[in-house]
Amino acid sequence: MGKLRPVHFVEAAFWLLLSAFLYIESFDFDRSIEIYKFGATAWPRTLILLMALAALGQLLFQYYAGDRPTGSLGAATDDGAQEAARKAGHSSVSWYASTFLLLAIPFLYMRAPDFVGLLTTLDKQGVHLVKGVTAPILFVVYLVFMRGNHVGAILALPIFFAALLEDMGFYAMAPLFIIGVTLLMGERRLQWIALTIALIMGVLLLMFVSLLYVGLPTGNLSPFYEFSNQLIILLQ
Amino acid sequence: MDAYANFINGTITLFSDPMGILIFFGGVVGGMLFGAIPGVSMLTLAAILLPFTAHLSAEHGIMLFSVIYCTGVYGGAITAILFNIPGAPENAPTAFDGYPMTKNGEAGRAVGAAVMCSAIGGTVAAVIMMLATAPIANWAISAFGPPEIFALVFFGLAVAATVGAKTLWKGWLSILVGLLIAVVGMDPVGGIERYDFNMPYLLAGIHFIPTILGFFAVSEIFIQAEKKATGSFKAPKISVDFPSVAELLAHKVAVIRSIVIGFFCGVLPGIGATLAAFMGYNEAVRWSKDKSQFGKGKLEGVISSETANNAATGAAMIPLLALGLPGGALTAMMVGVFQMHDMEPGPLVFLNSPDLVWVVFSAMFFANLSILLVGYLETKTIINLLRIPFQFLAPLILLLATVGAYAVRGLVIDVLVMFIAGAAGFFLRRSGYSLAGIVLGLILGKIGEQTFAQAMQMLHFEWLGFLDRPVASVLIAAAFLTILSSIYSAFFKKHTQ
Repeated sequence: MGKLRPVHFVEAAFWLLLSAFLYIESFDFDRSIEIYKFGATAWPRTLILLMALAALGQLLFQYYAGDRPTGSLGAATDDGAQEAARKAGHSSVSWYASTFLLLAIPFLYMRAPDFVGLLTTLDKQGVHLVKGVTAPILFVVYLVFMRGNHVGAILALPIFFAALLEDMGFYAMAPLFIIGVTLLMGERRLQWIALTIALIMGVLLLMFVSLLYVGLPTGNLSPFYEFSNQLIILLQ
Repeated sequence: MDAYANFINGTITLFSDPMGILIFFGGVVGGMLFGAIPGVSMLTLAAILLPFTAHLSAEHGIMLFSVIYCTGVYGGAITAILFNIPGAPENAPTAFDGYPMTKNGEAGRAVGAAVMCSAIGGTVAAVIMMLATAPIANWAISAFGPPEIFALVFFGLAVAATVGAKTLWKGWLSILVGLLIAVVGMDPVGGIERYDFNMPYLLAGIHFIPTILGFFAVSEIFIQAEKKATGSFKAPKISVDFPSVAELLAHKVAVIRSIVIGFFCGVLPGIGATLAAFMGYNEAVRWSKDKSQFGKGKLEGVISSETANNAATGAAMIPLLALGLPGGALTAMMVGVFQMHDMEPGPLVFLNSPDLVWVVFSAMFFANLSILLVGYLETKTIINLLRIPFQFLAPLILLLATVGAYAVRGLVIDVLVMFIAGAAGFFLRRSGYSLAGIVLGLILGKIGEQTFAQAMQMLHFEWLGFLDRPVASVLIAAAFLTILSSIYSAFFKKHTQ
């Protein structure tokens, strides 16, 4: 086994499976181009082959040298990220499992109408209703899982925020997002959180909505849509 | 004298336009500020600003990024010296002696040396850049066809794979991920959809702005959040006592040596300033009479590293402007600014937009000079900014990135892509992969595939045709040599780390 550890096999398996998946998918566009005999697949398939070779090269290198960086330039990238992960105990299988579970929550929200659609036909209002009901339920699930995994919760929160933007808009969600991030970063003083919301929202809305006329997502669910539009009218 | 007259014209254009002045000083202060705040870097600022450059003229957009580049490379030295957190890989050698100096109570001398040497290295390199870029561009027009550009991309990626990631293999995997992301969308020859998974959004390819924002700005927040969980933020006590003139004169040989090293390394596409800083530091150790003091807080270590990495900023503009090839993550974003204004960097920029080129050159010259004054003043103010707790800075950066990603095309899915890229960047970084490598692959992927296809058509699909073209064959040989020597070095060379 040399200096190989289980994590090295997981890493290699990830790259090899990704290579296999991309190779299989490349048959979807395996068509000839009249003026170019290599077609549309030659370039991506070469990259896929190189990716698989690099993954095997990495495994071979780890067999001999473990996690040693290759030269001082490699060490330049050591920005403390790996050390922080090790210190916090964020390398275990259970940590990864709970993190990926948290990361799946936003995608469950986005796919909820599709799942319900398997059971019954949904019109536009039905989709909105499903999303309106699913969002708070999944938020509770998020709160339950985040208790044992702070960093996983920080990773999932922005993705959850992005998933909600389409339906509930930036104007209503951004203050809640600020509350979430500051709380997850350890801030507990309410007056400081309120001041942060006021300052950040003030700067963003004045700079982008009032001055630059950047149209931010207004959402499409009631009452978020109406709230966003009223705020825009007020600011512009 | 042409260069001198152009420089004067560029300077007049730059400082006669109030908007230009505002953007110039905004870039100077912003680059230093973001470079010097732990947790964010000049790349974070550049990624946030990238979408908004669409609202600026091409001249102002490129000038802003070049100024951020010069001052940001210096700014990254401050965190390297004070916290042992290099703002960018090119500031890593600065931390070798800078941080021990802080621990020895000499933070002021180290920061002061970084201010002076960054300014000297950057200004001298800017002058050489002004004299050298145009002749190189003129030569490139006649000497560089698709085979040569493909060969240079290949060489650049081969060299880039050796730096930035923890191991050579991770460097290559990072670059290949970027190249494969660039494959998504229409193929450049036949317009065939690739990896679109029946999603209309993917037909146009994955937009580089949300990807860059995610990989740099968002992943940085995630990494810092994890570091916060381990408790790593410390408020430093600093003062800025510039080293005396006599002290600097005593290191004049190190300064000159680092300028030469920095400039020549900076010209190489893909690695530029990082290699420059390491080589500058390594040569300082090699030529020193008292090698044992390096790593324990020797001023010459800071001087050599900071002179070399700022000298590389000017040189990095040569492959970008003369050949259209970015030398690193920030210059790769500059390609994005060009593209947003329907322009391609490369030799034709000198013919079509000489004003733009000389405004950028002048701005870089003055940005490096301004490090002396603004760097001194800003370092004093940064003491106070460092007191802003990260929990208040993080939501601001995340929301700015949200607005930035959304503003590009008005699509919420771009925000989603950005945060997914941020999470992916978080996992890749903590596993030792290079985000700069992914971005370089993403930016160079399209150019690489397109020029490869054009080259093969030109050469009638004869692979050996590359060898009939001297520039292409030299570059391809250099790329293979780089790959083989890096593999040999990885397996067989003794490492002290």
